[in-house]
Amino acid sequence: MALGTAAAQQLATLHVRSLAASADRTTARAGEEFHITMNVRLDEPVAALDNVTLPDLSGFDVSGDERRCTASPRGSACSETLTLAATIPGDRTIGPWTLDAVDARTHRATRFSSNSVVVHVLGPSPLESMGALLRNLGFAAVAAVVLIGLAGLALWAFVRALPRRKPAFAPAAPEPEVPEPPRADDPSLRELVAALSREPTRRHALALRAALRRRIGALEHETYDDLVARRALGNGEADGFRAVERAAFCEDERVADAAREAVSYLTR
Amino acid sequence: MRRRARRRRRAGGRVIPDAIAPGALLEALAETVVGQRETLEALLHATIAGGHVALEGPPGLAKTLACRALAAALGGTFKRVQFTPDLLPSDIVGTRVFDQRTGEFATVLGPIFANVLLADEINRAPAKVQSALLEGMQERQVTIGPRTHPLPDPFLVTATMNPLDSDGTYALPLAQMDRFLVKVLLSYPSPDEELAILARFGGEPPHLPENVASMDDVVRWRSQARSIFIDERVARYAVALVAASRAPHDYLERGASPRATLALAAMARARALCAGRTFVLPDDVRASAPAVLRHRLALNYRAIAEGVEAERIVAGLVASVPVP
Repeated sequence: MALGTAAAQQLATLHVRSLAASADRTTARAGEEFHITMNVRLDEPVAALDNVTLPDLSGFDVSGDERRCTASPRGSACSETLTLAATIPGDRTIGPWTLDAVDARTHRATRFSSNSVVVHVLGPSPLESMGALLRNLGFAAVAAVVLIGLAGLALWAFVRALPRRKPAFAPAAPEPEVPEPPRADDPSLRELVAALSREPTRRHALALRAALRRRIGALEHETYDDLVARRALGNGEADGFRAVERAAFCEDERVADAAREAVSYLTR
Repeated sequence: MRRRARRRRRAGGRVIPDAIAPGALLEALAETVVGQRETLEALLHATIAGGHVALEGPPGLAKTLACRALAAALGGTFKRVQFTPDLLPSDIVGTRVFDQRTGEFATVLGPIFANVLLADEINRAPAKVQSALLEGMQERQVTIGPRTHPLPDPFLVTATMNPLDSDGTYALPLAQMDRFLVKVLLSYPSPDEELAILARFGGEPPHLPENVASMDDVVRWRSQARSIFIDERVARYAVALVAASRAPHDYLERGASPRATLALAAMARARALCAGRTFVLPDDVRASAPAVLRHRLALNYRAIAEGVEAERIVAGLVASVPVP
């Protein structure tokens, strides 16, 4: 969602990779504490997040609010964990969290929203509820309620047994902190370069490419362009990496030339 | 020889070799359209890949200008149809009329018989008119009365849509959206680009690049693109990206079809050709994925209710697939 120009002037420019909310439990009793966590991944290193708006928490008692940001040169991972206790039984939807920022991709003031989280809040205690019903209602009415309850329970158990869908960008569990890339010099790298020099084949090019990606801390979904964009490649590394990329994916008859070029870059 | 002379003349004395690279066309388009680089690249890549392009964005973002510039730069025949609620299928494909002088029916070909057809505000016409485009877009031929007429080659449909005004519009069915190789989203220009727009178009009608390349060049580029090498790992990556859209998802009713995989490979090949490579890199596939996938996803009611956009879902899908 785009925001107005006035709002944009006070916002930080951020490259938001993901914004997701999740709960540690999807079912809780009224008065029972549970946690709901919002995770943000950014390409920029930030110490704290401004312009985050909490979801509407009416119907919940808030007993804790913990915020944390872990920054590294590759970006930052921020989270906010709320400790909640529901006061009213029923299916309760929490969310979404919103983050106002200037989207670094479009340079427009944007309201990023997380997904909503649904928590099924049960009554305080089933035995107490049953006793109250027996006192206040006739046996027939209670029997009907029990039967409906049993049917509902069976339906709930059936639904729970179905395979759960996992959204592509809203992980169920809180995301781990962004690990620091293993930047230490990889002793096997020199051996791989030497192997590619001796035998300029695609197999060796792919092995060297994988080692290079590990060395610079490339994430699984990151391409060469991503690594260049976030300046993960140092001076001279980009040319060498590009040549290795060529050797790994070009036509069979060109692999040897591309491999020799890669070796010449990486041994400079 | 005559073509070469014409090119020399129309390029203002600049010597353009017979074998024009696709990049020359891109630069010519960029001289007319300020910014919108992604749009121009998508138009060029889709032209090379032999597909149709849907452009979506608010009014005033040079959607129509970009299509007109492409047609002018290619020097082929260009027709424009302004889609309106009262448009009829025969207004697009043509019709048969009775000639009183000869006493026979004669076929009048519609504007679809052009190298580049601009379907302006395509979502303003009802479904039967949109369907009239289907045969032409997919089969590259049109049936009028008892006869089937082949369309010119190359044939490119560029359709514009305005997402803001939903009154009086007819959403394109998924089957028709699938016919578009890519859907490109246009965003507002940066302040610097807007200043450049002021400087370039201050009261003057936009200058369109003329005959920068020819239809023969397009045919040659297509042939070259088809021979671009795709390593098996990169092909598997393209398949995995499309398959990710078919996995159970909170916000998707259905994912993209195998036609999306073919489109992704074709766009990746075109991108590689424009970059001067003879092989496809994972970057080519990844960069083409949003434009290929965003209009092929069927969002479910939950996504619509929660206002989740296809763009965000595609970003999640792309991030979930490991690069080879």
